[in-house]
Amino acid sequence: MAEARDLMQRYCDGEAGAFRELYALVAPRLLGYLLKMARERALADDLLQQTFLKVHRARTSYVRGADPLPWIYSIAHRTFIDETRKHKRAVVRVGDAEELPEVPAGLTGESEDRRDEGRGDPELVSAALDALAGLPAQQREAVVLTKLDGKSVAEAAEIAGTTVGAMKVRAHRGYEALRKTLGRPDEPAKKSTGGAP
Amino acid sequence: MSADHELPELRDLPVPTPPPLSALLESELAQLAPVATRRPLRQLAILVALSLIYGTGIVVRVAIRPDLHELPMYWLLGVGLAWLIGFVAPLYLATVPRTGAILPRWRLAGITSVVVSVLFVCLGLLVHPEGPHSAHLSHFGRGYGCLEVGLAAALVPVVAGAIFLRGALPVGSRWTAAALGAGGGSLGGLVLHLHCQVVDGLHVGLIHGGVVGVAALLAAAVVPRATDLR
Repeated sequence: MAEARDLMQRYCDGEAGAFRELYALVAPRLLGYLLKMARERALADDLLQQTFLKVHRARTSYVRGADPLPWIYSIAHRTFIDETRKHKRAVVRVGDAEELPEVPAGLTGESEDRRDEGRGDPELVSAALDALAGLPAQQREAVVLTKLDGKSVAEAAEIAGTTVGAMKVRAHRGYEALRKTLGRPDEPAKKSTGGAP
Repeated sequence: MSADHELPELRDLPVPTPPPLSALLESELAQLAPVATRRPLRQLAILVALSLIYGTGIVVRVAIRPDLHELPMYWLLGVGLAWLIGFVAPLYLATVPRTGAILPRWRLAGITSVVVSVLFVCLGLLVHPEGPHSAHLSHFGRGYGCLEVGLAAALVPVVAGAIFLRGALPVGSRWTAAALGAGGGSLGGLVLHLHCQVVDGLHVGLIHGGVVGVAALLAAAVVPRATDLR
């Protein structure tokens, strides 16, 4: 498969097929990132489409010969942040917490058509996703980019629009928070069953 | 269980299949045409040339300071060069990315804009030689005039920079804008260096030097509206 920068250049030259190839190359990874950030498939799909629409509209700001991936990730990051802010502003009070229906978390990272494919322990994955969702957005992003998506700290910092130092701190704090959360998920259960000899 | 066990599980999750392109994107692709991509060095050259022509026009319009020939040449040239560097360096960092990147070096640009803002205030406060025809500050009214001229000179670099970078900055837009402002403010400082004959340290430092900081702050507040990607 062609490299992202070649595809981007051909796309800027007016080749629609190159955009489709670029989408096929980048979208799965980007969707994985957005899924881990948004934890909702429909929202992640929407953010992905918005991201590529923005890439399309901003293609004149592409610099030939440059790797478009960090730039596309930055756009996805910004799109996610904007969407989160929009949702925060649009909070609707529906009553007390006890009255709220329990909403099942639908994300497992895979698409409908690949749901049956082999993957790790679903319990572990679900616990990790829950813990990840509990992190503040900045720490979550740092963990997702550096620990899960395999980006270097410098790349992650560029994507998130922060310094390398700040990204290191966020990733470390996020990881430590995850360790704390995941280190003792069974403790309350053990206490309640009174299993101690 | 701990993060050491779960994170590899998350890392190894199958890559999700993305949805097909939206109808909007498909319709955009149907009418796809070649576009001219950004050429940062060319943009910088245009930005600098345009700004210098505009700055020269302002100096000609507001008149060159009458004590110019009485002032030490080392100071005139040295400080003039410092203003020029203060003008070009932030603009360079705000518009030209490192090789292989698309986004400008906004972090460095931001740091530079802060350094330049402080440096010119200090320079003006500390070094301000005078000649027989130099003027001294009698009231604050003079300061407003200089601030006005300085900010007017900053207008073209900031506006042209914002046009070149419109829709190009998903992150770091505020710092990049501050650098455009600092660059423009330095051009304003250069214009004042050649125009204003007031030699009081407070005036040269706080007003001429302060133009850089004020322009940077104003640009940081306004320009992201144009450069942010929507």
